[in-house]
Amino acid sequence: MSETAPRRSARPGQLADDLERARAAVNEVIVDKPDVVDLAFTAMLAGGHLLIEDLPGVGKTTLAQALSLAMGGNWQRIQFTSDMLPADIVGVSVFRREDETFEFRPGPVFANVVLADEINRATPRTQSALLEAMAEGQVTVDGQTHPLPRPFFVIATQNPLDLTGTYPLPDSQLDRFLLRTSIGYPSAAEERRLLVEPDRRNLLESMQPVLDPERISELVDAAAALHVADPVLDYIQALIAASRAHAAVQTGLSPRASLALIQCARAHALVRQQDFCLPDNVKQVFPALAVHRLQPLAESGMSSEEIVADILAHTPVP
Amino acid sequence: MKQSEQDIPLHTVGWTVAAMLVAALPHLAEMPLGLAGLVVAAAAWRLAAAHSGWQPPPRWLRLMLTVGAVALVVFTLGALWGRRTAATLLCVMLAAKMFEMFRLRDLRMVASVCFFLIATHFLFNERLFYLVYLAAGAMVAVTALIQIQRYEDSVLSGTTVRVPDHRRLIRQGALMVAAALPVALTLFVLFPRLAQPLWGLPEQVMDGRTGLSDSMSPGSIANLFLDDSPAFRAEFEDQPPPPQERYWRGPVLWHFDGSTWRQSQFASRQPAIPVEAASDSIRYSIQLEPHEQRWLFVLDYPVNAPPESHISLDYQLINRRPVTSLTQYEMVSTPDFLDMPGLHENLRRQALALPSERNPRTLERARELRERYPDDRDLVGAVLRWFNEEEFFYSLETTPTGRHGADEFLFDLRVGYCEHYASAFAILMRAAGVPTRVVTGYQGGDWQPNGRYLLIRQSDAHAWTEVWLEESGWTRVDPTSAVAPDRIDQGSRGAIGQSRHLLDTDWLRNLRNRYDRFQHLWNRWILGFDAERQRRLLERLGMPDTRPGAIAAVMVVALAGVIATVMLVLLGRSWRQTDPLLRAWLRLQRRLQKAGIRRASGETPLELLERAADALPDHTVELQELAELYGHARYGPQPASQVQRFIERSKAFKPGHTGEPARLTGV
Repeated sequence: MSETAPRRSARPGQLADDLERARAAVNEVIVDKPDVVDLAFTAMLAGGHLLIEDLPGVGKTTLAQALSLAMGGNWQRIQFTSDMLPADIVGVSVFRREDETFEFRPGPVFANVVLADEINRATPRTQSALLEAMAEGQVTVDGQTHPLPRPFFVIATQNPLDLTGTYPLPDSQLDRFLLRTSIGYPSAAEERRLLVEPDRRNLLESMQPVLDPERISELVDAAAALHVADPVLDYIQALIAASRAHAAVQTGLSPRASLALIQCARAHALVRQQDFCLPDNVKQVFPALAVHRLQPLAESGMSSEEIVADILAHTPVP
Repeated sequence: MKQSEQDIPLHTVGWTVAAMLVAALPHLAEMPLGLAGLVVAAAAWRLAAAHSGWQPPPRWLRLMLTVGAVALVVFTLGALWGRRTAATLLCVMLAAKMFEMFRLRDLRMVASVCFFLIATHFLFNERLFYLVYLAAGAMVAVTALIQIQRYEDSVLSGTTVRVPDHRRLIRQGALMVAAALPVALTLFVLFPRLAQPLWGLPEQVMDGRTGLSDSMSPGSIANLFLDDSPAFRAEFEDQPPPPQERYWRGPVLWHFDGSTWRQSQFASRQPAIPVEAASDSIRYSIQLEPHEQRWLFVLDYPVNAPPESHISLDYQLINRRPVTSLTQYEMVSTPDFLDMPGLHENLRRQALALPSERNPRTLERARELRERYPDDRDLVGAVLRWFNEEEFFYSLETTPTGRHGADEFLFDLRVGYCEHYASAFAILMRAAGVPTRVVTGYQGGDWQPNGRYLLIRQSDAHAWTEVWLEESGWTRVDPTSAVAPDRIDQGSRGAIGQSRHLLDTDWLRNLRNRYDRFQHLWNRWILGFDAERQRRLLERLGMPDTRPGAIAAVMVVALAGVIATVMLVLLGRSWRQTDPLLRAWLRLQRRLQKAGIRRASGETPLELLERAADALPDHTVELQELAELYGHARYGPQPASQVQRFIERSKAFKPGHTGEPARLTGV
């Protein structure tokens, strides 16, 4: 796909080049997963949040760290544990004896990029504190509202198999995350590179920020303005309609999901350095967008992944 | 959602099945009921399958069905040759095809064969009505093809398959048929004609009707009275002759075996004296409907013989082959002619022969009359007077007679149709020693004032006699005219004075006559457009050389011109109507398909082209370029600038025909 995609050629300014360098930098750290890296950038540029769901050790945290570093700005990492309280995330008001006022001490969520590691280890109460912050873009403590910095991007990770003592995110909360993806194993050749080359952590340490909050905001604006032609809109509608009509689906995709789909397709096109959106962009973001939003019928025997693959395989591309 | 590749929707299948049924319908009416039911059932099954998404039956079952159907045809029709069997077989095979018509290629094949099937009706029936039917059937088949193409296009281009606007489809089909008309017309006028039609084999053209036969027995002509179909039509250069002169000469019968009159062996010999054209000669032309016999009907006495025919000793006009297609010929007849001033001894013997020990009472009566009237002319007059004055009736309702048919008829029944009178009169005359022969043919005809032609129907069939008299030669004597003068003046219907069937009303007769006028024009200008007429027309149009080769050359040139013009007009419309970019894209997809790369369902254009670039290493760069161009042209913000480039580049893209052959399976 990336070989034949139309190149973004005539766009003036450094913006596109910076994005491309950031992408290159992350790809340097995360071997053999350009599509996952692209999805991560897509979530960010579409103004949403990313959930990475995979086994331990495949590089979830490394990816999140690399992204955070490349994006510049300040970033925070929250390692979720079962004894964590909401205040540990959003912050607390502290009484200052000197001037007898309450002072708000912002929690780790006040950062441009928040890496929420193993989010399913925290109690639902703590989880929802983060999810609310993600949804609202602000935090309310003791009746006072504190806006979160812009841009605000959460990368959460979750281990799907290690379920003892965890609180998996309920389905209704999952769609707070714009995209959900997994990483998977690297290919043999790339794994060999991993073994031979120096430790990735060294790479991370030496990584320089390429973007900054201001540029990210500009990129988000650019993504939102990207051209989407009628056939691509047709395709988006066809996919959404197919998800609603599919025999194995309990509830299809909502209008919010279709808005998210077009936004992601635009962001993906921008990440791929295109001037406009292609059906291919839609197709590539669709699984990450739809799988965690679809409820399969229990008796159908099909998983969400299978349903999404089926929809993509049978929806003609205009 | 999950769709099998073979699920062609009902609206597409429906049109194809409809085309098949319309094309087969006239054949169905002629088939054994079981076979016709089979064809309809197969069509119904296919429609139900499309409606409910059934899969095709397994291969072995389809094979069995096909073999079984063919066996059934052979079993029911008893043979594997002949036009009827071939047409039936074609219908049945198409019906069997219904069970494996699950790919677009099959649909297309069935719709195309429908054109052929519907054209085969002209092997059985050349009537005007079938032209209308043919046009309608062709339209349905064209519409089916259009719908198949539409469906394939929408699948190939990845747009949603929509239920078609059937009215618009029909309009398109009609447009296509209309566009074919100029081509058909060019072919019609310029296609080199053969002197003889390619088909017209002597096999059942009459489809169950009998027509005039070459012999006459009691009832054989009366049976024709119910047959209202045209026998032939005549056009005259001047006025038509008066009704009592309208004797259309057919087979002349010499030999009588006691019940049946038959032709003589010497009928093929040339007449001793040729007939000359004179000032009172009648000039006319005849359009003869096929009747599967060899004679051509003429007024007395034919001067000329049309090509491929000759005049016999008894002035029948005999064709070289049986008339199995509409035949048109120009005639000159001279009514005033002395036929055989001297009767050769051989002929006299034949004209007097009677079977022995038959009809004793008739022979007795002949002897009495002879004694009373020694002169032949007086004798004839006396018998006619007898028929006229005594209680003889002219009627269809006759009773079958036995060994002494003439006796029973003349002395007991006294009710009969023309063949009874002609036969009895001839027997009487022969017994009295007057050489007599029976002539069959037609008498009268309906004058069609609008079309200015005479329509002679099968019901006008007639039989009369000719007696040989000193100095007058063979002289026509019609005993029927003595019994029922109306028969001669007003035609058979006037004489019988009864309705032949329920629908025999004036209003209906008028309608039929009006329809016959169109049929007449159709016969004259379309069916009758033979090599000779073609040559004359082209000469009048100023073509110097009218040999078949030259005509063929002109035809090829004219055809190319007409097709080019039609294409330009049609293409002009369609170029304006549909998106040139999509068309170029479809063409590119078809070319890729030929190179073995078929677009998978749900595959984006760029994915397809990337896959193609991998599969066709010789074209990698070209395909990558095309992918980029297409992406810009179709999805980009300023498509206009890229569209033309994509169209040009995709036109230039010609992959070699490698890999597996392309198969259209609905994807």
